[in-house]
Amino acid sequence: MPCPELRLVGAGDVIASAPVVFPVAKGAVPAAFAAAAAIAGFTGKRDETLRLNGHAASGNEARIVLLVGLGRTVREADAEAAGACGAATLFDYPHIAIDGRGLPRAFAVALAFGAAQRAWRFPINRQAAAGEDEPAIGRIDLVVDDPERAGKRWPAARDLNEILGFTRDLIAEPANSLTPASFAGRLSLLEEAGIGVEVIAGADLAGLGLLAAVGRGSANPPALAVLTWAGQGPGAPVAFVGKGVTFDTGGISIKPADGMWDMRGDMAGAAACVGAMLALARRGSPASVVAVLGLAENMIGADAYRPGDVIRSHHGQTVEIIDTDAEGRLVLADAVSYAITRFNPRAVIDVATLTGSIMVALGHEMAGLYDNDAVLAANLAAAGRAVGEGLWRMPVTEADREALASDIADIKQCLAGRLLPDASLGAAFIRAFVTETPWAHLDIGGMDLREEADTHHAKGPTGFGVRLLDRLIALRYEDPDHP
Amino acid sequence: MLDIVFAKPVSLKAGAVAILLAEEEILAGAALALDEASGGAVARALAVAGFKGQKGKTCLLLAPVDGLTRVLVVGLGKRADLTGVTVEEAGGAIAATLSQEAAVTVIAEGLAPLDAAHLGLGAVLRAYRFALYRTKEKAEDKPKLATITIQAEEASKARAAYAPLKAVAEGIFLSRDLISEPPNVLFPAEMAERCKALTKLGVKVEIFGPKEMEKLGFGALMGVSYGSVREPRMVVMEWNGAGKGKQKKPLAFVGKGVTFDTGGISIKPAGGMEDMKWDMAGAGAVIGLMAALAGRKAKVDAVGLVGLVENMPSGTAQRPGDVVTSYSGQTIEVLNTDAEGRLVLADLLWYAQEKFDPAFMVDLATLTGAIIVALGQEHGGLFSNDEELSQKLLGAGIASGEKLWRMPLGEAYDKQIKSDIADMKNIGGRHGSAIIAAQFIQRFVNSKPWAHLDIAGMAWSSKDNGTVPKGATAYGIRLLDRLVRDHYEA
Repeated sequence: MPCPELRLVGAGDVIASAPVVFPVAKGAVPAAFAAAAAIAGFTGKRDETLRLNGHAASGNEARIVLLVGLGRTVREADAEAAGACGAATLFDYPHIAIDGRGLPRAFAVALAFGAAQRAWRFPINRQAAAGEDEPAIGRIDLVVDDPERAGKRWPAARDLNEILGFTRDLIAEPANSLTPASFAGRLSLLEEAGIGVEVIAGADLAGLGLLAAVGRGSANPPALAVLTWAGQGPGAPVAFVGKGVTFDTGGISIKPADGMWDMRGDMAGAAACVGAMLALARRGSPASVVAVLGLAENMIGADAYRPGDVIRSHHGQTVEIIDTDAEGRLVLADAVSYAITRFNPRAVIDVATLTGSIMVALGHEMAGLYDNDAVLAANLAAAGRAVGEGLWRMPVTEADREALASDIADIKQCLAGRLLPDASLGAAFIRAFVTETPWAHLDIGGMDLREEADTHHAKGPTGFGVRLLDRLIALRYEDPDHP
Repeated sequence: MLDIVFAKPVSLKAGAVAILLAEEEILAGAALALDEASGGAVARALAVAGFKGQKGKTCLLLAPVDGLTRVLVVGLGKRADLTGVTVEEAGGAIAATLSQEAAVTVIAEGLAPLDAAHLGLGAVLRAYRFALYRTKEKAEDKPKLATITIQAEEASKARAAYAPLKAVAEGIFLSRDLISEPPNVLFPAEMAERCKALTKLGVKVEIFGPKEMEKLGFGALMGVSYGSVREPRMVVMEWNGAGKGKQKKPLAFVGKGVTFDTGGISIKPAGGMEDMKWDMAGAGAVIGLMAALAGRKAKVDAVGLVGLVENMPSGTAQRPGDVVTSYSGQTIEVLNTDAEGRLVLADLLWYAQEKFDPAFMVDLATLTGAIIVALGQEHGGLFSNDEELSQKLLGAGIASGEKLWRMPLGEAYDKQIKSDIADMKNIGGRHGSAIIAAQFIQRFVNSKPWAHLDIAGMAWSSKDNGTVPKGATAYGIRLLDRLVRDHYEA
């Protein structure tokens, strides 16, 4: 079970073997723990933890108690982080409890949600049954005074936890089982949430020349998936566009072998769009939103596209291929163009693990935000801040577009050479397929996977973008007085 | 330096002429008279070429009529959008296109005096050449342009507006010369020696050698210097222009001056290593800026500090793994000897704030390749702990045409320079390495407002561009001169 189950319980319902996470605000260590905390120097600072083995406090029988610091000024994000610290420390207990009594419900829920997200594990593909050889938290009980009162936040957090689990599983899934066709197949789950699912493949892809070119080298043919959520329409929808390269060898411009396995996650942008659609549908968003996913496998093959090829895009512009490993921008160009032509959206936001350059630029703390619209950019950055998914605005300029001038076609896909601002050039390429529509491009190349676990994050796919896109819709596109 | 002369408009019948034309405007005044004198040749040429005064476009006529050699019409774009940068680029286009004419007259009617002055600055900057080591250049290959006469209604006002800009140009030329010089000629002691020229402008110049710096405890800077037989220097340049009784805390500008960077023991690959002669462009910009401020008698107190070293591999060089003690007292584990610029800046920034208690510190450095990957060659990277200073710098960048883009700082990046053995290490991971470098430098800044400009993508231009010929750009001087002029002069 990659994603633990979340339950709301009363104080008496916690089983004896479950360790209890006890949140402590800075300087507010409860009297029962004061002596132990004083010896250990625990004061409740953010991210501080103190494990008490067999402490008989709060009327409980002797059990493991883990104090986690909330810091001085508690925000939801701090509570999430504290919950994550708890799960990171107690990762080998199948069942943990979090004592949320005395906290505002929003913080209590955030604690449990943070713990559940930190407890995510890779879906296990071993012979042994899950849990036999792999410690994993399977269940988290949030202890509250009134477990009968679910409120609004609790079901929302449970939904989001499940959706993020689904998204992260999808990203982690090996590319031999997750092909463009099987990715499209998984989308039937969205229909249960009321989302329209349409998969365009085979001869129907005619005209999407760039997407077809990228997928041509593979025995697993490409597809375009279109997800629609009507909300309380009418009116133009917001469009998400996701890069869904289910595996990226680099094609003829093949990647080095080292690290290539991570390329099974090169569909994280598309997965983020799927997760966001699910999230906003589950909470019944009144906004009209669509998502267009470009699904392809970039393989080496006898019929693969080549550097030097010129290909006609859905938009009509011809593209000179320089590097078959810069395939994401090709997939996105066609998907963005398709989304604009078909839906005439009020805004289009594409999400992609696009470049290594963005990692060099921003590392693994923030994703790159490129746009043609300052208001959309500000809204996205605000949504990112609200959910702890940082975006940093980066430049995409006329000079970048000019640098892509081709000798033989309307535009070159990228430049060859070293020390190039490839993330900006990639953004400039996609932008060339957007005319008037407000557009933003999130290059999540550095944010999709965590190479190492830390106190706040599990190793593996992050699901970056799901919360951010859902929050963007909630913040900006659901107010009937501000259409 | 190209001579810029301002004169009242008179009718022109001979020589080389440049005409400025805004979009959606027609030839008028002296330009119209010239067209009529040439029997309508100019208007015909514009019509044939489809030239409508678009920004960045030009139209050249050769010998339209007896006496006139070349007539160049330069587009300004829409007059409502006209900026100093556009006018400077127009000046640059004139200097580049008409470089084979000895004298050029520009019809600049309708241009405000300040814009006319900026036109002259643009021409001068574009006409810069570094020809010191050309011994066999044929006369016909050399540019001949010596004088540009700008005809403006308010010639005397334009002349007055040009005087301070000329001082800025002189600072830029000094800087471009320093950056262009080969590294066997320009090493730390030589570069320090050349700073003495600033004393003539009223700048107090103080030079520190290895003995003084060892004594002060500049362990970080000295460590970088150990590999080279050429001694390091620190040059401190003080300009007190605020006037008696008006002295405030000075503005501090700090430059990285690695006169050649082999990478040291962590040696760089051979390909492109020749570019490392301009690894002192930050220091070059600070020296040029001090010359510019003093040259135009800026009403400000400013101090410029440059740390000059050569980073060589040798038997005495510092090694990856060495721990050095910086002037601040903090210890640094040097894991990569090619991350040396930050070591130089660390000691200088600490010294600047201890010695001068400045109002702010801005450092300039060709610091990382990562900033080139992040921002290309259009924006310098701006890292700062101060919102107000950042906004002023971003504004000055747009106004001067030397643009900046703000980059992030944060605790998560800072964590990456945690060392197992010292207070910090001098590198983190490759990803986000420009930010990590800025975090390193920030550890040597107290609570002072501070900005770090990573100019690795901006110091050298691989092609002719606007007001910058191929080669050393001296990026940063116009930017910081503008910052001072707009916000800090008494």
